[in-house]
Amino acid sequence: MDSEAVEPLLKVTDLVLKYSTRAGPVRAVDGISFTVRPGETLALVGESGSGKSSTALAIIRILPRNVAEFSGSVVFNGTELMKLDDEEFRRKVRVGGISMVFQGAMNSLNPVLKVGFQVAESLIVNVGLSKQEAMKKAEEAVELVGLDRTVVQRYPHELSGGMKQRVLIAMALITRPKLVILDEPTSALDVMTQANIMNLLKRLKAEMSLTYVFITHDLALASELADRVGVMYGGKIVELGPSDTVYSNPRHPYTKLLLESVPMLRADRPPTFIPGTPPDLINPPPGCRFHPRCPYFMKGKCDAKVPKEFRTDSDHLAACWLLEERGDE
Amino acid sequence: MNKSGNLITTEDLKIYFPVRRFLRTVGYVKAVDGVSLHISKGETVALVGESGSGKTTFGRALLGLVRPSGGRIVFDGLDITDLEEKDMKRVRRRMGVVFQDPYASLNPVFPIYRIVEEPLVVNRMGTPEERREVVMKALEDVRLTPPEFFASKYPHMLSGGQRQRVAIARAIITNPDLVVADEPVSMLDASIRVEILTLFKEIQQRHNVSFLYITHDMATAKYFSERIAIMYAGKIVELGPTKEVLSDPLHPYTQALIEAIPDPDPTNRFRFRKVTPGQPPSLINPPSGCRFHPRCQYLIQGTCDVVEPMLIRIKGERYVACHLYEKPPMEREGHQ
Ligand SMILES: Nc1ncnc2c1ncn2[C@@H]1O[C@H](COP(=O)(O)OP(=O)(O)OP(=O)(O)O)[C@@H](O)[C@H]1O
Ligand SMILES: Nc1ncnc2c1ncn2[C@@H]1O[C@H](COP(=O)(O)OP(=O)(O)OP(=O)(O)O)[C@@H](O)[C@H]1O
Ligand code: SF4
Ligand code: SF4
Ligand SMILES: [Mg+2]
Ligand SMILES: [Mg+2]
Repeated sequence: MDSEAVEPLLKVTDLVLKYSTRAGPVRAVDGISFTVRPGETLALVGESGSGKSSTALAIIRILPRNVAEFSGSVVFNGTELMKLDDEEFRRKVRVGGISMVFQGAMNSLNPVLKVGFQVAESLIVNVGLSKQEAMKKAEEAVELVGLDRTVVQRYPHELSGGMKQRVLIAMALITRPKLVILDEPTSALDVMTQANIMNLLKRLKAEMSLTYVFITHDLALASELADRVGVMYGGKIVELGPSDTVYSNPRHPYTKLLLESVPMLRADRPPTFIPGTPPDLINPPPGCRFHPRCPYFMKGKCDAKVPKEFRTDSDHLAACWLLEERGDE
Repeated sequence: MNKSGNLITTEDLKIYFPVRRFLRTVGYVKAVDGVSLHISKGETVALVGESGSGKTTFGRALLGLVRPSGGRIVFDGLDITDLEEKDMKRVRRRMGVVFQDPYASLNPVFPIYRIVEEPLVVNRMGTPEERREVVMKALEDVRLTPPEFFASKYPHMLSGGQRQRVAIARAIITNPDLVVADEPVSMLDASIRVEILTLFKEIQQRHNVSFLYITHDMATAKYFSERIAIMYAGKIVELGPTKEVLSDPLHPYTQALIEAIPDPDPTNRFRFRKVTPGQPPSLINPPSGCRFHPRCQYLIQGTCDVVEPMLIRIKGERYVACHLYEKPPMEREGHQ
């Protein structure tokens, strides 16, 4: 598929989200750009604290109070979201637009409310359906994710982890979104339950022609869904490309080392680790943020100038000075 | 103590927790139900299984923290099954433990120095000066350097990986022969896991420590253990050299677990993973016969649901508890 031919469903440009703290602004999302085409899955991968969740929250505009800076452009389905007021955002995005399955949300289901009501809530609040109509839709939604209709009558504590995760997916789908952001949707689940959920996500994607942004720190898991991969490091996307080439021919040193740190079950290659620690996002290292840990570090260059994004293939970008000779910007 | 041989052995170990209703015992949670396993000196055995399969309970039993309901535990030649607490304390000095949660397992009000020193104080080992030397050495061992810098910090000032290093330093401070590491890296970022496990391996080789590595992660078990025990509903269903078990799993449950785990491979997105239906059973009324039978695609009616399969040796060091392999030895040899 030619990348230019299809109009993206989501186009994020120079997105910035900084949090204010006593020690100074935290540059959680520091000028990132990417597109997601209709029907594809973009996986955002990266270590803890690299800014994955913040990116998602910036897109759907669910922000904490201590935002220091929030800027850039987010165009969804042809509409610039950054220009919408809250009411327009609710109408155009929260219903039939973008939904999110939040990280760790399994534990934030309300223990005293029946599951059905929690699934239906968005239809009552954002669409204005009657409780009765919304509950009927909730039954359909839980069935869609492979649960029995009667689950709507139960309380969260009566459900297993896998069932709760399905409920959260039902909750995200009930507003009939085009784009679903999945933030670590299977962490804390057993491997068989995880495999079940991944199968479900694959099935739903095909049946409902959904577009996903799939957030995970697990590269193996990312490959279960990803058509394209964006690798985040220290608030930036350092590599972005089709999963076929990112996995087989990573161009950024961080991606390469990250892949080598994954213990493989089916191949015999002892995993290695990346020495050092992730960057401090209040005082990030100058130049390339990965330079203190990079085995290819070039003194005077990598620590002086922020690397540009180089195009290594038609649809594959990496921000590393090593590519300067080979690619064009 | 000799350098090789078994450090700890369990024989038909059973740990049942009573289920009480109105002060009456109405049943038992059979968390560990007839587990026989040994760990050699300097060996790492991975204990792998889904949530609730009994891994932590087994680890706690080795440490003398839960009383067995049946069977035996022998530690370096000494039967510790029913040891009195004061005698167990002496034995426990030779054991260390690392828990899953690096946030919860360190006392937040103590500086790192005191946390790491604590087992020495509790066991009245050494003078304060001697202890100081040992603590600094342990911090160096886990690469919290310079040790003076970390000694004065508090847990909340450290990252998850650094906290887990502190937990490891504390676990090895008494120079133990056995360390039970219960999900020591599962709360950490994937990129730090390998680093911490590599550290474990180094310490083990340097000090000839035996490790029980409790985890649900087969992939790390593959590279950081010599033998692997697969646990299902309180029982070991397969046991053997890790690489052999993972490259050629015999038990249908082991096969199903491996099938469920992805490697990084962009073609994964075009496939659905074969997933075994159902859930692990209740440990109060586990299924008759083979506990995996309600979920097993190879179920032999009339056998698997009636007769409990024993853990038998198949070849070399490989053991499996499954009726598919219970043929007369002659026939089995001929089969290969
Ligand atoms: N409300 C906040 N105030 C201050 N800093 C924050 C806030 N929320 C997140 N951060 C910081 O912003 C950075 C990015 O956090 P974010 O949660 O986006 O990372 P992540 O990639 O999703 O990590 P994880 O894999 O752990 O979920 C981190 O350094 C985090 O500590
Ligand atoms: N003190 C206890 N009293 C009663 N039941 C218990 C007790 N400790 C554990 N159990 C039960 O024993 C079973 C095995 O638990 P255990 O914690 O050993 O499993 P596990 O394999 O470590 O699981 P996980 O992977 O979730 O840590 C579970 O059903 C658990 O609820
Ligand atoms: S820009 Fe330099 S420091 Fe950064 S990843 Fe490339 S080679 Fe390494
Ligand atoms: S004993 Fe029977 S039911 Fe159990 S794993 Fe083997 S074949 Fe399956
Ligand atoms: Mg996150
Ligand atoms: Mg446990």
